[in-house]
Amino acid sequence: MASAALSIPPSVGTGNGRPLLSALLAPVGLIALWQVACLSGVFPSQVLVPPSDVARALWSLAESGDLQRHVGESMFRLGVGFVIGSVAGLVFGATIALSRLAEAALAPFFLALWQVPVIAFVPMLVIFLGIDERFKIVIVALAAFFPVALATFDGVRGVPKRWFEVARVYRTRLPDLVWRILLPAALPAVLTGLRVALTRAWIVLVAAELLAADSGIGQMMEMGRQMFRIDVVLAGVVVSGVIGFALDAAAKAVERRATRWRRA
Amino acid sequence: MSALLSQRWARVAIGLVVPALFLGWWQAQATGGASALAFAPLDSIAATFVELAGNGSLLADMLATLSRSLSGLLVGGTLGIAIGVAMAVWRPLDRVLGPALQAIRQVPMIGWLPLVGLWFGTGQGAELIVVCLSAFFPVLLSTYEGVAHVERRYLEVGRIYGFTPLQRFRLILFPAAMPLILTGMTQGLAFAWIASIATEIVMGAGSGLGVTMQLAQTQQRMDVILVAIIVTAAIGFAINHLFLRLRRHLLRWQAAPL
Repeated sequence: MASAALSIPPSVGTGNGRPLLSALLAPVGLIALWQVACLSGVFPSQVLVPPSDVARALWSLAESGDLQRHVGESMFRLGVGFVIGSVAGLVFGATIALSRLAEAALAPFFLALWQVPVIAFVPMLVIFLGIDERFKIVIVALAAFFPVALATFDGVRGVPKRWFEVARVYRTRLPDLVWRILLPAALPAVLTGLRVALTRAWIVLVAAELLAADSGIGQMMEMGRQMFRIDVVLAGVVVSGVIGFALDAAAKAVERRATRWRRA
Repeated sequence: MSALLSQRWARVAIGLVVPALFLGWWQAQATGGASALAFAPLDSIAATFVELAGNGSLLADMLATLSRSLSGLLVGGTLGIAIGVAMAVWRPLDRVLGPALQAIRQVPMIGWLPLVGLWFGTGQGAELIVVCLSAFFPVLLSTYEGVAHVERRYLEVGRIYGFTPLQRFRLILFPAAMPLILTGMTQGLAFAWIASIATEIVMGAGSGLGVTMQLAQTQQRMDVILVAIIVTAAIGFAINHLFLRLRRHLLRWQAAPL
């Protein structure tokens, strides 16, 4: 938790526009309070360990290479699953947005599936796929698919009809139509969808790893719990918080950069 | 084609083609395919549904998961509104709590489960805490937004009338923040619902739709899992619908929908 709090720039905090120093004051104070509370013996060490112990646990996990392995495995699953799910979502969303027939044929089934929280598919997928790598990649892809498909549908449907008419007048070829009109117009909505999808995929992955995995951040926390290692569990909490924050910040940065022209 | 698509019955019929194909494929897999064991034939799913609905276990699961979600929303939402209002009207609290809450929010809520499990044991208490936490944040954030960004003009009018702080809160801040608070509550309910299912699946304590799914998975009972998924989907749909109507009712004084 320590590093997660420190890495938050003031503009992200709920307050706004305060100088860096006073923004750092509160989290540093909280961590100091946490440390003091633990050292004074208010909490027994089975309940809460001081931040210094968490830092030590992180350090020893990093030194043995376990931390890198867990993070690497989680990121690999997230990356592969996210790419598969979002590409499928893009294609599906664009298809039902562009073709009324496809919409009539596919949208009802899609909307019915969408009512189910992705996590509820976990038991079913475990029966079909077992608990190995494939299962985690499929569940991540599923978590990414729905928000991307929906956002793409909204983005493409939101393109003004007149733009297509202009394109027809100019006899724009299909690749140009997609590349120069459809894509830029739908991009802001799609990027927002991708960012939401990334966050969802990460949450679902942590849940899946808690449940069924032999490696990954979720499994590291679950093992820590089973061995009553509060320091390891807290280290996992810190790492997953930092990763969650970094993913969201990176996605927001991409979103801002790619839609710069809108503000010009 | 487009003439056909403008007819309502035609669209419904076209919409049924894919589900029908899917069910047909499923049935073929279940009765013949190489992995027939994993698939459950449609008639056995229907029979399981009738059985679970008949002996009351389906209703008990539904009520358990629903009451977990609603108590999570009640506790988490109330705390969210209280802390959100307090942070918005009192800057020092915002400075102290803001960064800590932002840090807590970065962790996927389900990631708190191992820690909560260590603290409170892996029982229903731990499940409820994570559900409360999931409902808490959306309510907190939108309450804060709503109260902190009330239009200045309203507050100035209040000052002219010489409102006491309590009057200012009751007559200006709260009604003005209401649309956003309700948005937060809607989101909080959806989050609590998902978190209930998720914690039930991961922890498997007590009863509920998630617990039943998890148990069915260890017993390789695909039919039971599917019944639970279908019921989950139906309830999720109903909850969203109900809340939208409630929201429209409560905000009927608003000229334009938000």
